[in-house]
Amino acid sequence: MSSREPETPGTTFPGDPDALARFLREVRSGIEGGLDPVSATSDAIGALPDTLRDAIDLILRRLRGEYSEDEWGFDEDFAEAVFPLFRFLYEVWWRVEVTGVRNVPAHGRGLLVANHAGSLFPFDASMMTMAVMREHPLPRWPRFMVLDWAFSLPFLSVFMRRVGGVPAGPHNASALLERDELVMVFPEGVKGTGKAFSDRYRLQRFGRGGFVEVALRTRSPIVPVAVVGSEEIYPKIADSPALARAIGAPFVPITPTFPLLGPLGLIPLPSKWRIEFCEPIDLSEHPPEAAEDRGLVLDISERVRETIQGKVYENLVERGSAFI
Amino acid sequence: MDDAGRRIAITGVAGHWGSELAKRLARDSRVEYLAGIDTRQPAVELAGTDFIEADVRSAAISRLLPGTEVDTVVHCGILWYPEPGKPARSLHDYNVIGTLQLLAACERTPTLRRVVLRGSAAIYGCEGAAPLFFTEEMARRMPLRTRFQRDVSELESYFDQFSRRRPEIACCTLRYQPEIGADLDAPLVRYLSLPVVPTQLGFDPRLQLLDSGDATAALEAAVWSPVRGAVNVAPSGAISLSRILRLARRPSVPIPHPMFAPAVERLGARLGAGALVGDATRLLRFGRGVDNRRMRSELGFEPRLDAVGAVRELAAKLESRRVVPSPHPGSWLGRLAGLGP
Repeated sequence: MSSREPETPGTTFPGDPDALARFLREVRSGIEGGLDPVSATSDAIGALPDTLRDAIDLILRRLRGEYSEDEWGFDEDFAEAVFPLFRFLYEVWWRVEVTGVRNVPAHGRGLLVANHAGSLFPFDASMMTMAVMREHPLPRWPRFMVLDWAFSLPFLSVFMRRVGGVPAGPHNASALLERDELVMVFPEGVKGTGKAFSDRYRLQRFGRGGFVEVALRTRSPIVPVAVVGSEEIYPKIADSPALARAIGAPFVPITPTFPLLGPLGLIPLPSKWRIEFCEPIDLSEHPPEAAEDRGLVLDISERVRETIQGKVYENLVERGSAFI
Repeated sequence: MDDAGRRIAITGVAGHWGSELAKRLARDSRVEYLAGIDTRQPAVELAGTDFIEADVRSAAISRLLPGTEVDTVVHCGILWYPEPGKPARSLHDYNVIGTLQLLAACERTPTLRRVVLRGSAAIYGCEGAAPLFFTEEMARRMPLRTRFQRDVSELESYFDQFSRRRPEIACCTLRYQPEIGADLDAPLVRYLSLPVVPTQLGFDPRLQLLDSGDATAALEAAVWSPVRGAVNVAPSGAISLSRILRLARRPSVPIPHPMFAPAVERLGARLGAGALVGDATRLLRFGRGVDNRRMRSELGFEPRLDAVGAVRELAAKLESRRVVPSPHPGSWLGRLAGLGP
């Protein structure tokens, strides 16, 4: 190690061929000095730029299992690795505009309740995550509830879990809220994603108000969220009940491009999106036992639904044209 | 109940869990008398244990048990997988009929005050869309898909009936997650120590594997605690199979899931690891998590290792046993960069 040149930290590898040459020179001088290739390489690693060393370190940590993965299966490294793809969709493809992001609690539990749309792949959860992560002064990873069926599929289930999805259900929602997480729910469920294009932005029934029960029991504030733009990404003009029965799916949508164009039909249309986070609804005046009060639960559920419906209409007017 | 002068009977004492518990209880001064029941002699001599050769599946147990005048019965005779002398086709007999006969014998033992059943968390099943942490009241909420699951459900319902009929007897079911340990000869441990581990393509189950030392300690805690009803026995947290294999430096081969069970069987036959039985195939596709809060608060038992710690300990022990260099890229790349051992 006689001729080590001064390093320039922070340079990237492709832009700095000198660093590669320096690294290889060090390896060669190490081997000529009588070291075996492995120790020569590990000695020479200091000649590599910091960013590359960090990247190698990250890959090695992953390979050796030394990474964080919480008990729900959320894997922050993985979520950060797929972040750029969703950032592209968020900034360029759908040009998402966000209002009221400060209504999302910066710490502690919170239940984000939103309208649900996008027949083939609902992207609303991922775009809401992007909104919280990019616009909020104190970003945090929200968790989201996913249709049960998706969790029995290979690949998709693992992907969903690693980015923070859990199978939809009151147990999982309450358990997450009890650990002070931010949870996103879509009470319309399949009725929301599976509605025809002609019914767009008309909110469906909010299940049986299960999300209100969970919020009351765990004493979490509800933040209604209105999402506009998600309805146009895969306009559902028909569906195929026979195919849905055959594969066990809740529905199989037919859009102008799917399945006509094959895999190309999976590319979502570039609609313009708006997301509004509304004033939180504080439920702390009610005791946890109020979760059994049907009337109260349905009342609050309806209030949340009306808030979201109203805000959806407001944002539709403000957005103007759907695509330009 | 007064804890001094306890008289305890353990079924399945020739198996791993029965004999481990007997070893621990024999050292305890509060135990006045210890009986071990099984069809065959334990592999090692159990000092301080009165061995009774009897088959829990036969009516003879009803004649033998009252004579021992025990106040506690610990039923460790429930088998997750075949053991020497207990082939796969008789698991149902051991698990269901054995429990039924044992409960009949318990009815005839007037001195009895406590029964502990070493059951299984398999009763919850393994489903993609299951709650991520099952609590005790969620048993049988998911469809009972495997033979083993149905057996566990059936024997638990007999046990529930018994505890309702005899309220003066404290009945406790421990629902165990699968155990691992370097000293444990179980199909899942053999699977994890294969040089190349087959996994199911596109699936990465969340698992809770319990350290074998903690498993025995929990059983011992249940002997001394008057807790009633079902208690999940599991480590805190959960870990995905992919991370387990990386921590254990095992390369994996993804196999489409319909071909997984036959592949493991053939690979296992060649390498001496045996096949996966019971609901292990479903467990390695969908995983299962249980809530262990009741174990920690009511049973008062805190496991030594969490889900990640148990795997790390197994990995360290498997690594020291290895004679050939690891084929996992994490080991040689780590060495190359001088970052790891």
